[in-house]
Amino acid sequence: MTNEFRGPELVRDDDLTRELRSIYEAPSDASWWAGFEQRINARIDAAIAADEWWTVPDRWLRVGLMAAGFAVIVAGAVIVRSQMQVSRSMAYQTIVDPATADLLEVAERGKLTEQQIRLRVLTGRH
Amino acid sequence: MAERPADERALVLAAQRGEREAFSALVRTHERRAYAVARAIVVNHEDAEDAVQEAFLHAYRALHRFLPDQAFGAWLHRIVANAALDITRRRKVRDADELPETVASPFRDPAESSELRQRLKDALDSLPPRQRAVIVLHDVEGFKHAEIGVTLGIPEGTARSDLHYARSHLREVLGSVRSEL
Repeated sequence: MTNEFRGPELVRDDDLTRELRSIYEAPSDASWWAGFEQRINARIDAAIAADEWWTVPDRWLRVGLMAAGFAVIVAGAVIVRSQMQVSRSMAYQTIVDPATADLLEVAERGKLTEQQIRLRVLTGRH
Repeated sequence: MAERPADERALVLAAQRGEREAFSALVRTHERRAYAVARAIVVNHEDAEDAVQEAFLHAYRALHRFLPDQAFGAWLHRIVANAALDITRRRKVRDADELPETVASPFRDPAESSELRQRLKDALDSLPPRQRAVIVLHDVEGFKHAEIGVTLGIPEGTARSDLHYARSHLREVLGSVRSEL
């Protein structure tokens, strides 16, 4: 038995150490270590390749996001434009509707108040 | 042969710049010591090999966070220890469901050759992973308490007390096996 420097409780058993060393003996074959090195590097290379594979979708993701943004802008413009067209056509319809036009003519002559014109338009009675 | 610190620093800096060959050189320099650290923690050779591969991959990915003025070996050993402890935890869960099956390997574990060694190996397996790691790193690999503390992320005093308990337990087993044989 060998006493260690720090503290009497840490007593080394030489037989135990010898047995432990035989159990945990590392491979001594140089070719095994060369192969181990290759396996480690192969694992790293495989991981790098996998990482690169994931960067391709990243690139496409950016393109996709830009395309989606552009599509949203175009769709928004189309909706705004069609709404403008609808309201413009409604305005034209109001102007060219003969009944409404008559009412406006009567109103202009001062026979009907604004309230009466509205009521007649709503009830369809001219 | 181990690289000199200056060479190692140059290798680390080159690897950080993305030179794959430089990292391969670091693998070559540190694989044996890394294997020893992993083997001290896991219960078999295959798991040690797995832990080292996992650790080098992790180190490669985390290399940009490593400060080149630090000791690369100490940093790597900490990563290896974490990978090995992780494998030990996963194996514990897996072994609860199935019997372990050893994969054929060109390297034969010397512990298989004798009854005494097998009993001692069983006793080592029954130790908590940290205690097993401490006794192997200290008695087999020659690590100092402070180095063990850094590698396993524990205080030096804990490393000393773990060593004491592990030795007591194994000495007991060794004594009873010898009295039987």
